[in-house]
Order: sequence, then C-alpha cells, then structure tokens
Amino acid sequence: MEATTYNYKVVRQFAIMTVVWGIVGMLVGVILASQLIWPDLTFGIEWLSYGRLRPLHTNAVIFAFGGSAMFAVSYYIVQRTCQVRLWAEKLAAFTFWGWTAVIVLAAITLPMGITSSKEYAELEWPIDLLIAVVWVSYALVFFGTIIKRKTKHIYVSNWFFGAYILVIALLHIVNSAELPWILGGSTSAWYKSYSAYAGVQDAMVQWWYGHNAVGFFLTTAFLGMMYYFIPKQAGRPIYSYRLSVVHFWSLNFIYMWAGPHHLQYTALPDWAQSLGMVFSLMLLAPSWGGMMNGIMTLSGAWHKLRTDPILKFMVTALSFYGMSTFEGPMMSIKTVNALSHYTEWTIGHVHSGALGWVAMITIGSMYYLIPRLFGRESMWSTKLIEWHFWLSTIGVVLYIASMWIAGVAQGLMWRAANPDGTLTYSFAQVVATMHPFYGIRLMGGSLFLSGMLMMAFNVWQTVRAGRVVNDAPIPQAVHA
Amino acid sequence: MDSGTLSGLITAAFIVVFIGIVWWAYSKGNKQRFEEDARLPFEDDDDRPAKQGDKQ
Repeated sequence: MEATTYNYKVVRQFAIMTVVWGIVGMLVGVILASQLIWPDLTFGIEWLSYGRLRPLHTNAVIFAFGGSAMFAVSYYIVQRTCQVRLWAEKLAAFTFWGWTAVIVLAAITLPMGITSSKEYAELEWPIDLLIAVVWVSYALVFFGTIIKRKTKHIYVSNWFFGAYILVIALLHIVNSAELPWILGGSTSAWYKSYSAYAGVQDAMVQWWYGHNAVGFFLTTAFLGMMYYFIPKQAGRPIYSYRLSVVHFWSLNFIYMWAGPHHLQYTALPDWAQSLGMVFSLMLLAPSWGGMMNGIMTLSGAWHKLRTDPILKFMVTALSFYGMSTFEGPMMSIKTVNALSHYTEWTIGHVHSGALGWVAMITIGSMYYLIPRLFGRESMWSTKLIEWHFWLSTIGVVLYIASMWIAGVAQGLMWRAANPDGTLTYSFAQVVATMHPFYGIRLMGGSLFLSGMLMMAFNVWQTVRAGRVVNDAPIPQAVHA
Repeated sequence: MDSGTLSGLITAAFIVVFIGIVWWAYSKGNKQRFEEDARLPFEDDDDRPAKQGDKQ
C-alpha cells in the first residue's frame, strides 16, 4: 500500500540534535576563546588543551550542528516538495544513528589527541570509513526519494542538496585516501594513518577539500535551506525561480576551483595560486545573485520583518552571507592575502560566515520546522525568539569587528620592519596587542551561546506542550 | 593533443554549456513553467501565497 504520511521521525531526531550539538560546539568555542585570554584555564590537562579542543570545536559546529541541521531539513524538504514518503526508511534511521556515532567518536578521539592533522578532516581512518558508509546511505535515501517523487519538477532546494551530497562524498573519499599504519606492521597505534599524498600535492588536495567543504557543506546545502524556508516563512514564492537555476549552475561551475587561495605565497605553483584567486573573485557573482534572490522574495512583504523574528533571522543570515561572500573574494586577492593570511582577520571572516550565515539561517529554519514536527502552530515563545535574534546579531557583530581590527593590526605589526631590515615588533608584542580584542570576541561568542541556550529552553517548552507528529498527510492531488 | 589544449577545450565546452543553461532559464517559452515550479513548496499547504513569480 502506498504511504499516506510523511516520515517526520528522522527529521525530528536530527532537528533536536541540531540544537544540542549547536550548544556543545559553541560552548567549546567559548572555552577556546577563554583559553586564548587565560592560557592556564584548563590547568594544563592535556585532553583539554587548545590544540585538541580546537578540532573538536570545528568538527562539532560544522559536522554535528550543521550536519544534523542539513539531514533534518533535506529529509523534510525532499519529502514535502516531492510529495512522497522517504525511500528506504530503515537506511534513513541508520543515517541518524551512524552520524551520531561519528560525532560521539569524534568527541572521544579528538581530545585524546588522535588526529590525521588535516584541517576539518582530522578524524582517523576507522571513523572515515564509517562517515563514508553513512554518507552513501544518505545519498541513497535522498536520491531514492527524488526518483520516486510524484511531482514532475524537482524543486530548486533539492538540486542544491543533491550537489552537496555528491560533492561531499567526492571530497571526503579523495581527501581521506590514507594508509593505515597497521598495514606497515605496527600494532601499537592501529588507528593511525598517513595521507596518500605528499608535499605540495597533499596541501593542494587538502585545500581543495577544505574550501569545498565551505563551498558545498556550508554554502550550497544551506542555500537549499534558504530556498525553501524563506518563501515559506515570507508566504510568497522565491523572487525569481529562473535566477535560482542560474545561481545553482554558476555556483557549481565555479566553486570547485577556488581552493588554491588557501595556499597563496606557498610552494604551490604560481599559476595555481592565480587560478584560485580568479575563481574566488568570480564567485562574487553567483553569491550575490543568490543573496538578492532571497532578500527580494520579501519585496511587498517588508512589513513582516518588523514583527516576525524568524524572518529577521533569515534575512540577517542573507546579509551576513552577502558580507562574507564579498569579503572572501577580497581576501583571496594575493596582495590582500599577504596581509590577512594567518591573522585573526581570517577567524573573523570564517565566523561572519559560520555564525552570521550558517547558524542564523539554521536557527530561523529550526524555529519554523520544530513546531510543525510537534503539532504546534508556532514556538512556545515568540518573545524569546526576538531576544535570541538580538543576542545573536550583537554577538556576531562584536565577534567579527574585534577580529577585523585584531587581524589587520596583527598583519601590519608582523610585516613592520626597521630601516636596517630587522622586525619592529617581537612576536610576543603582537600577542599582547591581541589581548583586548580576544576579550571582546569572548563577549560576542558568549552572547551567541546564551542565545542558543534560550533556544534550547524554547524548544523544550514547545516539545513539552506539543505532540509527536507522525500523521502529516501527503497531498493526493498533484499539480506541479 | 597535449593536456593544455584538452583543458582549454573542456573550459570552452563548459562555457558553452553554461551559456546554454542561462539561455534556457531565461527563454520566453519557459517563463510560465518556472513560475509554476516556484510554487511547488506551497502545493501541499493551506497557506497559499499571493502570486509573485519573476518580475519583468
């Protein structure tokens, strides 16, 4: 018999874990920010040292918080816009437990110091294998659902999700090609492995991975989220569907080649560095096209922004997306990069994208989604969402402004030289200059985290007063 | 054919394909269908929105 309801169970699981992992990941971030101010904060306990907690923070916010959010919304949107129940539901359940297992394993191994030392790909080979299996299952569930759809057209969000799923599979498998030490006869550290690539090739593969993780995990996937939830929350279709088609393809054609901008002025061949810079500059066009498409969806409904904090989250997210996708290409220009690279400016840029864009569009979407998964019309408290919005916005602004100033100061001080060629400032002098800015950053990050705690409370109250929805009906009449 | 020529040809082919996509997306004949496709998220709800679609 054909299913008459959607599968909301797996969506619900991932949605709740999004909030939980968001708090965990951001809490680790706040601890790290404090460690930079008070280096002895964790009493020299090695498991809590900065070098081990830092990859825990990045993995938790990107793959646990961002990843869970993407699983939740892609399973929700693909069902509702294809008007069918998920394909292979047991496999979908496996993706939840498998992904959660990956996160727990990361939380254990990273503080132990077990790492492949590749940024955003630190997890060792046994976990890499589990990620690959979970991801292939995800692809099967997602594309299986697309194939059995009842609608003729595949909605644009699903195109973005499809690209994200395929590219992440490709990136993960290629970049994680590694040789386990156990094959070399060692039994002392069987989990240890070494990259299959060496030298500058290794660096290039790593940053091809690293930048496309930003491009396809943190951008393409969340644009799919944007293309569904902004129209839904604003109550009107996307401003230009045709622009969204061009947006999708131009992003895909260009993003893949921007990675070398992470390796400006390194041993990477000069032409490859220039290629990375030029493609990064071109990315400005699709990025801003997409941003405007989202914002213009509100044309004629601007008044809703005054009263609807969920829309405020989404539109502010797009504004930060616009800002960081302008800043990124600028920073990829070699002469700018010569100043910005290795400084706090980069940290500011990343958080403008990660907190401003990814977290805020996710938070807005979750406030739309969660009540619907628990049979309620809206969240328990709209006032609390409004508070969350202002805390987050002020938090991000404090964070990125302090890191801009700190980064530029840092870059200028590092390059300052006396007439005789010696450096004007010692490294320790530069570190001392950072001190007040680290304080402001900690304040910004703490505000953002406290907003997340409010969200958790609001979600708790919503869930408590709601009921688990397992009977959302699939429409029988098909139009599009 | 050396690898440089091959990459040049592939780049050129990609550009042609991309221009084709833009032409297809913005051709008059497809205006109607894309406006309908944009309404897909609203097909299954009672909160049907006002007509908007592409602005000319």
